Amino acid sequence: MKEKNRLLGDKLVIGVAYGFIGVFALICLYPLVLTLSVSFSSEQAVARNGYSILPLSPSLDTYKYIFVNSGTKILKSYGVTLFVTFVGTMGALLITSMIAFSLSIKKLKYRNVLAFISNFTIIFSAGLIPWYMVSVNYYGLKNSILALILPSIFSVWNMFLMRTYFASISSSLYEAAEMDGANYFTIYVKIALPLSKTALLTVGLMYALQYWNDWWHALIFINERDLFPLQYYLYNILSNVNAISSGRIPSGASGNITLPAETVKMAITVITIGPIIFLYPYIQKYFVHGIMAGAVKE
Amino acid sequence: MGSGVKGFLYEIKKNRILYLMCVPALIVLIMFSYIPFAGVWMAFTDFNVVDGIFGSKFVGLDNFKYFFSANSMGWKVTYNTLYINFFGLILGIIIPVTIAIMINEIRHKTYKKIAQSMMFFPYFISWVVVGAILYGIFSTDVGVANHVLEFFGAEPIRWYSEPKYWKWIIILSSVWKWSGYSSIIYMAAMSNFDGSLYEAAKVDGANKLQRILFLTVPMLKPTIIVLSLLSVGRIFYGDFGMIYGIVGNNPVLAEEVTVIDTYVYQSMRTLGFSYSTAIGLFQSLMGLILITAANKSAKKINDGEGLF
Repeated sequence: MKEKNRLLGDKLVIGVAYGFIGVFALICLYPLVLTLSVSFSSEQAVARNGYSILPLSPSLDTYKYIFVNSGTKILKSYGVTLFVTFVGTMGALLITSMIAFSLSIKKLKYRNVLAFISNFTIIFSAGLIPWYMVSVNYYGLKNSILALILPSIFSVWNMFLMRTYFASISSSLYEAAEMDGANYFTIYVKIALPLSKTALLTVGLMYALQYWNDWWHALIFINERDLFPLQYYLYNILSNVNAISSGRIPSGASGNITLPAETVKMAITVITIGPIIFLYPYIQKYFVHGIMAGAVKE
Repeated sequence: MGSGVKGFLYEIKKNRILYLMCVPALIVLIMFSYIPFAGVWMAFTDFNVVDGIFGSKFVGLDNFKYFFSANSMGWKVTYNTLYINFFGLILGIIIPVTIAIMINEIRHKTYKKIAQSMMFFPYFISWVVVGAILYGIFSTDVGVANHVLEFFGAEPIRWYSEPKYWKWIIILSSVWKWSGYSSIIYMAAMSNFDGSLYEAAKVDGANKLQRILFLTVPMLKPTIIVLSLLSVGRIFYGDFGMIYGIVGNNPVLAEEVTVIDTYVYQSMRTLGFSYSTAIGLFQSLMGLILITAANKSAKKINDGEGLF
């Protein structure tokens, strides 16, 4: 009898687990489906019935409208985002993997000093304003595409993540290569990198996602429309809408700004998420891998 | 002394290739993290462009005093930052831990995999996109929230002109975005647990709920503590992207959701460089104190292992 109760209780726990996980998973996906569905709805139907989880009188009109009316602007922003993501990720991978490799070599006497110099920047910083001033006044980053690349080209977290991978390579491999007269740069290129493909892919994807989703640097450094990345383009549209919906902006001022239609906003949102949706099934596991590796301390 | 320099130069020369490989990263750190420290001086001056950082008039702690005076927003934005982060922290532990534990009970492979993919997805989208989605939910005329209210016969709410809801909209959005991510960390910890303990408990007649409460949760405790300490160390830092992505420049909501970080950015334009530098410095110092304390406690709890 007791045993029977126990089994019943266990079944209940399992049932609750299925239910809770299912509901939470749906909550996580629901907004995305909503966005997709509105972007494929007709504007009149949305204005009449509001947002709906199933497309209302489905059509591609919104996407056609966007590409006819603001096609060049969006394509330009897409170009900026692609360029920044590609160049930034490649540069970041090179810079990060080189220092991570060096710091993984145990015989390097000052590696702890260098690790401390890196670590310190995580725990203490000068703050936004001094950082902004040197970037604008000394490095000339105002309205420069470099402003979207350089400030985030080296992440200390990613460096430590990579160092963990490099440190797991047996040092006897390096010693053998050294005997054969290889220097450490050759060892890095010929031995360490080929053995760390997963790590490179993981960290590379993390950098790529960061660059793709970045709009904050654009908010701070960029006012030239031609240099707007995709996310910032979307941000601009939304923040106008948002300010007007507060009802605080006088009608005279808002008269000059035409509010984009609901479907247009959602379609631009879909375009902004774009590649992530298609790549998600393939790239997801690398992020899980990276998070797990980062969670387990070296 | 001389031999110290000699030893230093000898080491650099001997491993010059390895040290050279660190140079690009060090340049980035020096440019964007170390050189800006010179600008911190602005916090103690009344900065003007003509006299420059070091020529402007020295005013001591006046900028800091103003921040905490009655007519500035100092206390308010500090309160907002701590409020949002505190509840974000609590829910950001409870929900991911629950997810990790429950996922562990699911045996159906496909169900598990699909659910995990769905929960992890919000991590991949930017706060701007989250802002767009929230607009679809809370917009007055077409939003989902008001439709639901209408369905139950309640009055629709003009969400975007009602500041009181937004702290919690922001907290819940952050939980929504990060729970899938954080649960992975807890699952990583759980994968290292000793299976024989569970077997033994089963033999002793413990049911599933007891095994969860008296085995899994206690074993997760170190991970929970480390992650909480990390969050406590950063409790004075608001998430700029989250606030601006969700609320944008909506002036009505500002008072309730302005955090230290967005306040620094806004006061750069209105109240000048010196004042905003001072707030930034206050924030960094609080962060430094808390994270050092958090690291010390982590070391105590984790037998010598700190947070970083």
